[in-house]
Amino acid sequence: MSPLQGLTGSVAPSVREGCRNSIAVIVAYIPFGLALGATIASAGVHPLLAWLTSPLLFGGAAQLLAVQLLGAGAGAAVVVLGALVVNARMLLYSVSLAPHASDWPGRWRWLAAYLLVDPVYALASARYGRPDRGGHPRERLAYYLAVGITFWVAWQVLTGAGVLLAAVLPASLHLELAAPLTFLLLLLPMLRNRAAYAAAAAGGGTALAASGLPLGLGLLLGAAVGIGVGALVGGRRA
Amino acid sequence: MRELLILIVIAVGTYAMRAAFLVTARNEPPARVARLLPHVGPSVLAAITLPVLLAPRGVVSVAESVPALLAAAAAWLLWRRTNNLPAALFGGLALWWSAAWVLDAAV
Repeated sequence: MSPLQGLTGSVAPSVREGCRNSIAVIVAYIPFGLALGATIASAGVHPLLAWLTSPLLFGGAAQLLAVQLLGAGAGAAVVVLGALVVNARMLLYSVSLAPHASDWPGRWRWLAAYLLVDPVYALASARYGRPDRGGHPRERLAYYLAVGITFWVAWQVLTGAGVLLAAVLPASLHLELAAPLTFLLLLLPMLRNRAAYAAAAAGGGTALAASGLPLGLGLLLGAAVGIGVGALVGGRRA
Repeated sequence: MRELLILIVIAVGTYAMRAAFLVTARNEPPARVARLLPHVGPSVLAAITLPVLLAPRGVVSVAESVPALLAAAAAWLLWRRTNNLPAALFGGLALWWSAAWVLDAAV
């Protein structure tokens, strides 16, 4: 029997609000989800395998990188390292949410970890930052799962639709523009201090200068330089 | 088969990073990791975004970079003003789309 059974009365408002907030954010992910599906479907990897990155990796930037590198015939180590570097920000999210999840039952934390991705983190941390700290443990968990599961389902459907529609989506829609804008809007909330700006400028500048290097290496180099510069600037201020 | 195996390795690694602190409910990472972690997000996202934004085809060019920069600035402004993700995204996209359409029509 599920621990949430019989408690639906008390958590129903949190579930409803989680679904509502999640759907509002999902609207912004429609162009990127469709574009991602269409791009990975034509990257030279079997379309079903390409779509499987949605449930397996559940993070658009890493999915895009992994499938494009695989399609371009990159070595296994480069693909794995590149995708893991792109997803390494999940570590930060995991650290940041841990204090709010410490009073959740263990098995629900395993599920919560699987659902952890940028928009879910953003909504959950905004709610847990309120004066009431997001309410009782059960309400916090219910809100998180409602946001996470709603977004997960939408992501599977959106990317699946993109894969299926890859051949019929007109090029004049310029869906490829959605990805960089979506990433930019993930980046903006992170620019909270000088160290973050320095890390972003150094990382982005390095990756841009190194974009002539073989696929994926520019990103690894940019990430390393950005993290180093961020730590230097941040360390000096601390 | 090789491709599926690679994806499964990435999936396991990604899940491990998501679960690392959330599942163990350890609130504090080691000091050295804690010092570097805050810079991972800005560095990686900028390293992904900037090349695609400024040089979609590998080279910086006026025809491609200017509409992209305008769209990025519009999205930034809208996000600052409204704090509303769909508004910022679709505002920036609309500007970029119009610029792209104008360029498509001109060529």
